[in-house]
Amino acid sequence: MPKAVIKRTFDMRIIGDWVEPHSRVLDLGCGRGELLDYLVQARQVSAVGVDLDFTNIVACVKRGVSAYQGDMTGFMRAFAEQHFDRVICSRTVQELVDPAGVITEGLRVGRAVTVGFVNHGFWKNRLAALVSGRKVRNAVYPTAWFESRPSNPVTIADFEEFCRAKEIRVARRVHLSGDWKTRCSTLPNLLAGYALYDLTR
Amino acid sequence: MTDDVEPLPADSAPRHLAPGDVGLVQSHDFVYDRPFTFKNGQTLPGFTLRYETYGMLNAARDNAVVICHALSGDHHCAGWHSPADRKPGWWNNLIGPGKAVDTRRFFVICANVLGGCQGSTGPSSTDPATGEPYGINFPPVSIRDMVDSQKLLLDHLEIAGVYAVIGGSMGGMTALLFAIEHPRIVRRVLAMATTTRESAQAIAFNEVGRQAIMQDPAWHHGSYPRDGGPRVGLAIARMMAHITYLSDASLDRKFGRRTVPGAGTAGGSAAFDLKFEVESWLRHQGQSFINRFDANSYLYITRALDQFDLAYAYGSLEQAFAPVQAEALVVGFTSDWLFPLEQNRAIALALLRAGKRTSYAELATDLGHDSFLLESEQLYALVRGFLERDPVAFDFDI
Repeated sequence: MPKAVIKRTFDMRIIGDWVEPHSRVLDLGCGRGELLDYLVQARQVSAVGVDLDFTNIVACVKRGVSAYQGDMTGFMRAFAEQHFDRVICSRTVQELVDPAGVITEGLRVGRAVTVGFVNHGFWKNRLAALVSGRKVRNAVYPTAWFESRPSNPVTIADFEEFCRAKEIRVARRVHLSGDWKTRCSTLPNLLAGYALYDLTR
Repeated sequence: MTDDVEPLPADSAPRHLAPGDVGLVQSHDFVYDRPFTFKNGQTLPGFTLRYETYGMLNAARDNAVVICHALSGDHHCAGWHSPADRKPGWWNNLIGPGKAVDTRRFFVICANVLGGCQGSTGPSSTDPATGEPYGINFPPVSIRDMVDSQKLLLDHLEIAGVYAVIGGSMGGMTALLFAIEHPRIVRRVLAMATTTRESAQAIAFNEVGRQAIMQDPAWHHGSYPRDGGPRVGLAIARMMAHITYLSDASLDRKFGRRTVPGAGTAGGSAAFDLKFEVESWLRHQGQSFINRFDANSYLYITRALDQFDLAYAYGSLEQAFAPVQAEALVVGFTSDWLFPLEQNRAIALALLRAGKRTSYAELATDLGHDSFLLESEQLYALVRGFLERDPVAFDFDI
């Protein structure tokens, strides 16, 4: 199995642990539907994903995962307060045009919002930028700047500050080391490669 | 839908024998000989639905795929009636052995709607009470009546389970209503380029078509001989409607400002002779339509389209979709200005709000409303993915 997939499965399992069985889950930026497929199989959730890309929707439909092609904020506006038990924003948040708007809207339509992101404050990322003087490229962001989507390289410190400023309650947080498996408890903004947050109002 | 025909290559193999083609097919008549009550309360002593089937019904009788046609479509959705046919059924690109709707796996059923004129009972059928065509004495037909009559056909065929109902445009409305009214038998519904209620613009277009027919003196308040009728009015209705099925970009690509050979610059009435290719094409569309469609059927079916309003009929869209047990897929097309993306999205969002398993996809095409008939590998992949998913075994070990 390629390394990226293994890393992926690990944060998937943490999210799976947070998701209540048989709950209603919305995945923003669901891609090809792997996470939702996992949650449907492991937690029997009723799931729907949102994605902009037609071929991703086809992949979801093919694996039997409900998916909606379109803008995530527009999608959420069509739902009443607390329609979903959980809104997931896994590896999407750094590419959003309006991350605060999406998370706020997620907290309106969902009882909880789960955010997972690569910590750009991780020392290897800092060092890479410092040494090479270039856009950080790694297993998760393998492409050069000119073939990448616009991205806000968010750090754990940034995200914590955001939650404080917006008075969003952090119900759970998990910081993973550079291997994206073992928990990291000291100096997470420097030593954690990946971060998962469970937010509530 | 267009009446365009690609020119036949001179020495090609018989097209009905092409791989992936259902080949030569026959129509059948389902005769229901008991009284049928329309939604408005009026009754017919019975009715006929003309239909076609492709593929084999399985032992459990639950692999039926019901195809619902659009306003001007019919039951002949795939294959050829004779090797000499100029063109195959209207959705031949989608339906056949190995195609997106795979007839090796599914038993495909398509019926001409009640109120139609391609063999099913409609205004041009003979009223047994008078021996004359019903004309406008035919009961007002609704999408619901089309669904109810097709359900009787399914009962007649002893269909236990409908694997999927599929339709575009009016066929999408029919498919949605099928899933609402018969939730226990419909397991999947695929609606494309459709709406739960027409906008004022769509109603307006239909009204212009109806006025063209009714203002034609030959309409004669709906009572005209079988070989006559408002041919000018019907042709104009079709020409106008046809523009709404396409798009600015596709018409421009197809015709641009090209002129027909011999178009002169003479004055007088000759100034209004055929000049542009698009005019010639439109006239052809109008002419070929009057040879296959009944003007009263056009009035009845466009009225059925205009009256269709799920939110009004059931209190709200969410209430309308509440009984649905089928999994749904809604597909919109970016250049569809008759039933725009927004109206297709609204269907999917309401289904999701009602807690139904629903997907929504949109295809970027520039062919307008008729895009659902497009030869598109993307569309085929989507339809096939919805009908024949491959379950992924998940690796739970990390």
